[in-house]
Amino acid sequence: MDKMQFDKHTSTQFNAELEEARKNLMQMGGLVEQQVEDAIKALMDMDTALAQRVIETDQTVNSMEIDIDEECTRILARRHPAASDLRFVIAVTKAVNDLERIGDEASKVASHTLELADTGSGPQGYVELRHIGEQVRLMVQHSLDAFARLDADSALNVLHQDKAVDLEYGTAIRSLITTMMEDPRSISRALNVMWSLRSMERIGDHARNVAESVIFLVQGKDVRHKALEQVAAQVKKG
Amino acid sequence: MTLSNQYTESMDDNAISKPESRHPVLENWDGTVGQALVEEPRMSARSVDVFYGDTQAIDNVSLDIGKNEVLAMIGPSGCGKSTFLRTLNRMNDSIDICRVEGDILLDGEDIYKKHMDVVALRAKVGMVFQKPNPFPKSIYDNVAYGPRIHGLVSRRTELDEVVETALRKAGLWDEIKDRLDKPATGLSGGQQQRLCIARTIAISPEVILMDEPCSALDPIATARIEELIAELSQNYTIAIVTHSMQQAARVSQRTAYFHLGKLIEVGETDHIFTSPSHKLTEDYITGRFG
Amino acid sequence: MTEQKLDAIERLASVKQDRLNAKLKSRYARERRFQAYGIASIAAGLGFLVILLTTIFSQGLSAFWTTYVELEVTYDPQVLYIDDATDADQLRLADYGGVVREALLSRFPDVSGRQATRELTSLVSNSAEYRVRERLIANPELLGQSERLWVLADDDLDLLRKGIIDRELPESERRISDQELSWIDSWNEAGELKRRFNTVFFTNGDSRDPETAGIWGAVVGSFYTLVVTLLLSFPIGVAAAIYLEEFAPKNRLTDIIEVNINNLAAVPSIVFGLLGLAVFINFFGLPRSAPVVGGLVLTLMTLPTIIISARSAIRAVPPSIREAATGLGASKMQVTLHHVLPLAMPGMLTGTIIGMAQALGETAPLLMIGMVAFIVDIPGGFTDPSTVLPVQVYLWSDSPERAFIAKTSGAIMVLLGFLAVMNLLAVFLRKKFERRW
Repeated sequence: MDKMQFDKHTSTQFNAELEEARKNLMQMGGLVEQQVEDAIKALMDMDTALAQRVIETDQTVNSMEIDIDEECTRILARRHPAASDLRFVIAVTKAVNDLERIGDEASKVASHTLELADTGSGPQGYVELRHIGEQVRLMVQHSLDAFARLDADSALNVLHQDKAVDLEYGTAIRSLITTMMEDPRSISRALNVMWSLRSMERIGDHARNVAESVIFLVQGKDVRHKALEQVAAQVKKG
Repeated sequence: MTLSNQYTESMDDNAISKPESRHPVLENWDGTVGQALVEEPRMSARSVDVFYGDTQAIDNVSLDIGKNEVLAMIGPSGCGKSTFLRTLNRMNDSIDICRVEGDILLDGEDIYKKHMDVVALRAKVGMVFQKPNPFPKSIYDNVAYGPRIHGLVSRRTELDEVVETALRKAGLWDEIKDRLDKPATGLSGGQQQRLCIARTIAISPEVILMDEPCSALDPIATARIEELIAELSQNYTIAIVTHSMQQAARVSQRTAYFHLGKLIEVGETDHIFTSPSHKLTEDYITGRFG
Repeated sequence: MTEQKLDAIERLASVKQDRLNAKLKSRYARERRFQAYGIASIAAGLGFLVILLTTIFSQGLSAFWTTYVELEVTYDPQVLYIDDATDADQLRLADYGGVVREALLSRFPDVSGRQATRELTSLVSNSAEYRVRERLIANPELLGQSERLWVLADDDLDLLRKGIIDRELPESERRISDQELSWIDSWNEAGELKRRFNTVFFTNGDSRDPETAGIWGAVVGSFYTLVVTLLLSFPIGVAAAIYLEEFAPKNRLTDIIEVNINNLAAVPSIVFGLLGLAVFINFFGLPRSAPVVGGLVLTLMTLPTIIISARSAIRAVPPSIREAATGLGASKMQVTLHHVLPLAMPGMLTGTIIGMAQALGETAPLLMIGMVAFIVDIPGGFTDPSTVLPVQVYLWSDSPERAFIAKTSGAIMVLLGFLAVMNLLAVFLRKKFERRW
């Protein structure tokens, strides 16, 4: 943490460039988080207008991804960043990629909402949907928070949350399958709900990826594809 | 948009209230970070202090240079990296007020021991300097000078072979084989520096010390020297002082960071340039004012 | 604070061009004035040089020409008192002056009386009889025969011919009487006078007679002296410089030595002469007036010059070359001999030649050790009494005879010639040995 001073370079221009990239990432993060929240809200309230807006927002998110990636490429080419600067640029490009995917998933949820609205039936009764939705939204928020604060510990929390979400997702899928077996008429509705759940689970995974990037950025350790306990031990060691 | 502002603010707040660095000032220095020692050292320095009169230029440096490895030494100007390099083949001997304490071993033998033969030492530990400094003689004589003064070869044909091999190893042979008798000062800067490397190789040293060998060269010539260093590292142990961090990152296996005469951090080059452990190292290689 | 400064600079921008132009004008004027000073000083220097050279050349050029008289010489055994032409002693001791006198009298038969005869013979150089003797000793069969022979004219005749003695002056103020003038005119009309290149000037030693005085003795003396100086001062100076620069520890003692060497370079040369007199002649008993002593004294004098220039030449060798050689394992001596010395050599040679040129032009110390003596013989070695060029100039400039004025300037020209050659040599050597690094 003590090394993360991106405003202390001899080159003020470099400071400005890194700050610009960070600011844009946070802006994009805010946009994506809003997208996730809106998508869930639209699904729960069957608000087609809101769902439509979520899908439209995806355009903005995509163009932001391209802009930030360009910025990072420019920094790599012109500044030859090293150490924390290098990790920062890498983390930003990765996080941007994940955020864009989160946006994609959110608009998928929104299009499922539109389909559900077409069939004239809401997702009423599926508490898991609301619950999981809320959880992944928090994950996205926390991972971005961790990025902003350069906080490996809260990033680790996101990893824990992801594990919980994965468990709940499994339970929800099983209960959906039971519902479909009991009442075959509900299959098309249940499938839409299932795809929405699937998208939310994917959002959680991407939030986890962002959190992993944060740990790499802060501690210089690659914690991907490792058992959670191992990761936790590493992060605690500092 | 409101959300993004929230993030921006939160990061700035955090930046101000940062936890204190582990080594805020050098007075509280608590030793070199990283692996200064290796399993199979060719040269090893133990608790080396160097003084110029009353000024201490090197403070308690312990560092190994492993067999056939390229060790890069980086650090700001006046950090003692060049001084340390020059203690390794006793180039500081000619400076009257320079005093070296501690042990420096070459293959386990103390090079500062009483009856150490400096000439023999320098035949084992060659040096390439910052500015290309060929002798104002022919190219051939430049390379042949070392073998001649050390009496390494007895016959002219043998000397010819040595010269050719050294020039080939330095990647210079094809460019200059037709003008061996031409003055070396007529070569380009990069060629001159490679000639100086060939001149050093010609006495078959075990260790080659390079003191900012590319600082006077253009990028293409620099790239050729770096390529040459990579090739040479298969047979020689190389210690290189450089001001270019990119160069250190490109050519070396291990990197040592010096600051104010102290060895702050040593480690695998990959590690140093992606996630250095010490704040001073971090600040230096990321170009921050510390 | 910062904004105020910025404002000041902005305000400046508006008036910049005017002030700049105003300032520029005065700056250009100052630069032109400065250049003018430099040109003026160079012009003054050149002017003095031109005056010096024209004086010397206008006076000295005539020294390279001299007048010869053609005489009908009869090798009369009666006059010569020779009865046996095979007797070398008789040939050597014969009265050749008589032959010359007879030849003159037979040319002007109406001359009679002691006074007139003496005047007549004084028109021909004393060396005429030596010329006749040489001729007869080389060809004894000429005895009893006669031949026409060109002999040196007296310096007064020569001066008259060169226009230095003005024939328009009244007889009482003229060195040549009307009687003599008529004889000279008679010779002139008969074509028995001619100008020739003055080989005597370059082949003879010193003489009381201006027409037979030459500089060869002084040139040879200078040569021997400089050989001694060079052989001693170059190795000693270079060795001292190398030791002081490369090997000597830097401490108080070497500092004192350095200061003293620099001081020695400024010591008046006459002091070295006194030292030489006291040490080499009085203490060691070396011969007076000898090139060996002169060389020793001049060595003392040039050593500081050579040491100082050699040291700066050594210091000018780039340290990177030393480092390169040391880094390859060369010992201190190898570094010095293989690299430093060859690179410093042009500078050392230049310094040495300048020192030699100084020594060549030096007079004062040599006066003290007796090299100022009047020496007629060409010196044959390092211990023969001799004189040197500048001392010869000094001696001649002191001589009363009018003809020596030209000789003095002639000798100066020769001296300048040698100095020019030595300086050219210095330039040549530097160009030849100079290496770039």
